[in-house]
Amino acid sequence: MTERFTLSSLAIRNLRRRPLRTAILVAALTLMVASLIFALSFVMRVNASIQLTSERLGADLLIVPTGARGAAEDILVESHARSFYMNKSIIERVRKVAGIDKLSHQTYLVSLIGMCCSVPESMVVAFNQETDFVVKPWLKNKLGRNLKKGEAIVGEESAFNISLGLVEMEAQLFGNPFKMVGVLDKTGSGLDTAIFISDDNIEDIIKNSDAKIKADQISVIFAKIKKGADAYKVMSEIENNIVEVDVVMRKDIGKSLLSALSDIRKIFYFTMILSTILSLFLVWAIFTAIANERTREVGIMRALGAKEGHVVKLFLFEVLVLGVIGSIAGIIVGTSLSVLLAKNFSILKNLPIDIGLLSRMLIAAAGLLFGTGICVIGALSPLNRLKKLEPLIAIKQE
Amino acid sequence: MSQISLHNVTKTYQIGEDNLVAVQDISLDIQSGDFISIVGHSGSGKTTLLSLIGGITTPTSGRISFEDMDLSAMGSDGLSEYRCQKIGFMFQFASLLPMLTVKENLLLPTMFVPGSERTDAAKLDDKAAELLRSVGLLDKINAFPCQLSGGQQRRVAIARSFMNNPALILADEPTGDLDEDTEQEMINFFKSMNQTIGITFVMVTHNTELASHTPRRLRMHQGSLQML
Repeated sequence: MTERFTLSSLAIRNLRRRPLRTAILVAALTLMVASLIFALSFVMRVNASIQLTSERLGADLLIVPTGARGAAEDILVESHARSFYMNKSIIERVRKVAGIDKLSHQTYLVSLIGMCCSVPESMVVAFNQETDFVVKPWLKNKLGRNLKKGEAIVGEESAFNISLGLVEMEAQLFGNPFKMVGVLDKTGSGLDTAIFISDDNIEDIIKNSDAKIKADQISVIFAKIKKGADAYKVMSEIENNIVEVDVVMRKDIGKSLLSALSDIRKIFYFTMILSTILSLFLVWAIFTAIANERTREVGIMRALGAKEGHVVKLFLFEVLVLGVIGSIAGIIVGTSLSVLLAKNFSILKNLPIDIGLLSRMLIAAAGLLFGTGICVIGALSPLNRLKKLEPLIAIKQE
Repeated sequence: MSQISLHNVTKTYQIGEDNLVAVQDISLDIQSGDFISIVGHSGSGKTTLLSLIGGITTPTSGRISFEDMDLSAMGSDGLSEYRCQKIGFMFQFASLLPMLTVKENLLLPTMFVPGSERTDAAKLDDKAAELLRSVGLLDKINAFPCQLSGGQQRRVAIARSFMNNPALILADEPTGDLDEDTEQEMINFFKSMNQTIGITFVMVTHNTELASHTPRRLRMHQGSLQML
């Protein structure tokens, strides 16, 4: 069958005329889109991780010892092993604050292989099974019952769990034998890397190890507030009445991490703005050169009957082909970099979740739209000048 | 009714602060099927006159109409359709697109015909082949312009001007790069298209001998037109 000769085949032919110039433009777009994809992936991963953590804790307020706010976020958001303590009596003082509905507490211990424990460094979370509303939903789902004394259940990403396929394994924790009875489903929070035990084990831990914790100490109180109560008011009242604690609101979890990242984000945004301006300038310069080079050809085409719309279609097709190729290459490079380089960023390495496929697709769509859009915008001015030229003037140009 | 009518048409170009009068107060009627030659020195305004008739530039004053349709009232798209469907241009310079083959150069104007996407591609190919045969270049159908001599390129451009079945051919020095024999062949081809199909020809040339082949001859001098 005879192949029809169309404007799109003409556009492809035009792009092949100067392969080096086409390649330079595609490469510039690739770099720009790749940096956008990388920056968006980074920012979205941090945000998604923080949001999931705050949602899945199920608490409206997080009450920690004064000055331990950052350490608590390190545990919950970034999976770092940290320990900090406050007196257990604070629970009752918090309970007296108007607007408090439920309270639960946890105690954090850090396991050290060879010193006290037979497992690699991990967060050991002792939680109160009577009051708990943070771990229990997952525990119920997986085990269907409470943990007994001497039993432990591990988070989904716990290192030794993954490497050993741990179920029904005996481990030594703080001088006490623990039977690992299962693996929790993924929560998306930093607690996925932790080992959970009931807090009635703490007495034995203190007795049989050098753990620097006292029987009347806890690490964190999770608070649910009553329906209709003002979370800000409750938080202020706790902080005003109990000077030994800091309070973190659910929506503020991860704020210190975000604030620490703000400079990195600024650098990302600044780099993006610069590369966008550079790409716009490059597209404009290249299409100005293309328009100058092809002025006479456009004049001939106009004399042969091409409308302004034909000229626009022809050049837009070229621009779109370049934009789409550059953007797709940028999406591939940017996504690969964000996955490969994540291991080199300690902040990303410790984040418990990666962004999902849907988020990756959204970022890719944004990259495609952005890369193609930059191409179109950059080419508009020379294209507009070219299509408006009177055919005779265009033909006379050398 | 004349096919083309020019009424007091003037075209001036502004060069710096000076006005250059390329065409001065020309009135001319061209009937359908005419074969007209216009001779004159370089810079006398011949090409500008052809460009005005072809609608690739607009007059500074005066009126040009094609079959009673005023070109100045057509707008940009209307003029494009006029050029596409009624006019066949032969330029005085190399006018083939270098990245297209000879066949694709011939098919180029057909892309701009409204509804061209519904035209049978094979028929267009056949027409391109037939025209190339007429100018003696069928064997070069898949060659690129850079593989052709200047004269061959000129003949391809001649063939291209007939692709959309124009009513009027505007030929600017159409045989400039051709040897005597080929020039004669092309003139015979033009005559045949004029006489068998009734295509109107307006041909600009320096060559008075070539002009002598045409039944109606005009001379341009300093922007004005005189009968010969």
